[in-house]
Amino acid sequence: MTRIWNESGFQNDDPWVIETEETKAGSNQKPIVSLQSFIERAEAGETGLGVLIQPADDVRRVAPYLDRIALVALSFPAFNDGRAFSHASLLRERVGYAGEVRAVGDVLIDQIPLMLRVGITSFAVTNPVALKRLEEKRLPGIDVHYQPTARPAKKAEGYSWRRVS
Amino acid sequence: MYRYDEFDHAFVAGRVAQFRDQVERRLSGEISEDAFRPLRLMNGVYLQLHAYMLRIAIPYGTLNAKQMRMLAHIARKYDRGYGHFTTRQNIQFNWPKLEDTPAIMEELATVEMHAIQTSGNCIRNVTADHFAGAAADEAADPRPYAEILRQWSSVHPEFSFLPRKFKIAVTGAERDRAAIQVHDIGLHLRKNDKGELGFDVYVGGGQGRTPMVGKKIRDFLPEEDLLSYVTAIMRVYNLYGRRDNKYKARIKILVHETGVEKLSAEIEEEFRHLRDSELKLPEEDVARIRAFFAAPALPERPEGWANLAAWKKADPDFARWVDQNVKPHKHPDYGMVTISLKPIGGIPGDASHQQMDLIADLAEEYAFDELRISHEQNVILPHVALADLEAIYRALKPANLATANSDLITDIIACPGLDYCALANARSIPVAQEISKRFGSAERQAEIGELKIKISGCINACGHHHVGHIGLLGVEKKGAELYQITLGGSADNETSIGEIIGRGFEPEKVTDAVETVVNTYLGLRLSPQETFLEAYRRVGPQPFKDALYGATAEAA
Repeated sequence: MTRIWNESGFQNDDPWVIETEETKAGSNQKPIVSLQSFIERAEAGETGLGVLIQPADDVRRVAPYLDRIALVALSFPAFNDGRAFSHASLLRERVGYAGEVRAVGDVLIDQIPLMLRVGITSFAVTNPVALKRLEEKRLPGIDVHYQPTARPAKKAEGYSWRRVS
Repeated sequence: MYRYDEFDHAFVAGRVAQFRDQVERRLSGEISEDAFRPLRLMNGVYLQLHAYMLRIAIPYGTLNAKQMRMLAHIARKYDRGYGHFTTRQNIQFNWPKLEDTPAIMEELATVEMHAIQTSGNCIRNVTADHFAGAAADEAADPRPYAEILRQWSSVHPEFSFLPRKFKIAVTGAERDRAAIQVHDIGLHLRKNDKGELGFDVYVGGGQGRTPMVGKKIRDFLPEEDLLSYVTAIMRVYNLYGRRDNKYKARIKILVHETGVEKLSAEIEEEFRHLRDSELKLPEEDVARIRAFFAAPALPERPEGWANLAAWKKADPDFARWVDQNVKPHKHPDYGMVTISLKPIGGIPGDASHQQMDLIADLAEEYAFDELRISHEQNVILPHVALADLEAIYRALKPANLATANSDLITDIIACPGLDYCALANARSIPVAQEISKRFGSAERQAEIGELKIKISGCINACGHHHVGHIGLLGVEKKGAELYQITLGGSADNETSIGEIIGRGFEPEKVTDAVETVVNTYLGLRLSPQETFLEAYRRVGPQPFKDALYGATAEAA
């Protein structure tokens, strides 16, 4: 089963549902919709929306509607599809979106530290090894870095590209 | 060379701990081999035909004696006493036990080495001219920039799951010895009229199934924009590179399918946003990195000139070795020495632990503690006084390391092939050995002159056959091994992809076929100064086809 995790721990009352043909958000839930549908609803004046960015989507298209977004979900259909890492970077650095960004799909424990660094803030986790490790608070990251990324990090001694978290 | 500080040590220690945890998860059965595979690959651990293989990074091929001794130690303690230097200036060990690999990483970390990103769909070891810092034709040493790229790309969170592997090469010399036009990104460091440094940027070169020569997309990118521009390329590739077919996933296919104008416009647009970001390189940082690569103080050693002449006169074998394996250094009293890992009939690129220890000793005693690995799978002593050449030769000879064949027909590049590799269709090593034996006589090699043979055991082209003057590609046809011959490839400034000359040859006939090609060349060259490649470019494939298949066979 899928659980939502962020850096303060597992979140129990998460309202977000990725809408599909079969699954629709209930009355006490909030929908995450496709980019196209999001743009239509944002154009129509809706706010508080969740939008799902698929790997082939252009994430920059959400830029005109930042005040309408409550959550951006980035899809990782498979662990080795790294496009959402660039989506996250663009969303934070270029588009300037500051709200919640959630990784959905094949979210694995070894990738979560990297996802955090590009600005992803919450995780829909199904993988049993990942769930177990997160429960044990064992995140396998490295806390010194050789490159600036979207997540703010302190500069380290030495070269301009070094960061520590 | 670059030296780690506390930050670098902390990073490598963190990566070793991460890897140890991943190996433990696998050994305990917590994760399956399928889940483990991408994790081990990011740290250079492959599963081959018979065992795990570990590939250790030698950034831009530069190492010192202490590091070489560590490689010898690993060969002794964890492997079967030898290692294999690769065409990416790295080293592979073919027989480590998985449970030993974290300990190997820990030992490597003590001499500032690692195996980070020697495999996987990420930015691989950045390669550079093996004569960097010593060659006379150099505008500037490319290694500071290779080092900056190495650091910046290490565990880069945005670019760790690219469509496919990604290879960057840098040269700072007029003559390209780093094969930059067959890399995903090739950087040519130049000086402009004002004395400033910048890069010509090539993108989309590569070998493999679909060999392509890189396209120049930038003239003289300012030095300070290096990381911003490379980030722009990487981001465009990460977003738009094909992921539906691993054989079409390299950036060369994206360049080809999108068109170089359109793709470079997208890169420039991305770069426009990134140019004034935190990625801009401060001059003081570049200067600090550059200082690590300052050439050693080379004392005047003019006595070498007379000594060398006398030694050469007294010993024709020594003379041949000097003429072939020692290249002019920018300091006239010095030379750049190629230690051949291609003994006649040997396995190209292999070195025993004793040989590695000996090379380390010589580097310390005579060569300012500097060593390089060339992409042609040899070891280089970049700074050697002419006055010390005789002593080095005397030490190398009994260790079977003094073969005078640099750039000659027996200086063969070969992939590990079907003897080790799970991907191979055919063996490479035995073919290389047989060709080496056939042309082993020093006189015959000298007569033939510069001729690069490159052998790959499958279409992935790890043996660089596409850019061999003579390339051999092992294929499997109806259960039997067959070797296709390509002619006219080259990876220098005039990079070209070799042309397939005709149907393939069985293992027992391929050496004869190579000999036919060589004899045809000898018969048609205008003078002994006209190299094989020059002659091929002049006459084209037909005389070789006629010689191999008969004048009428082509129509049949």
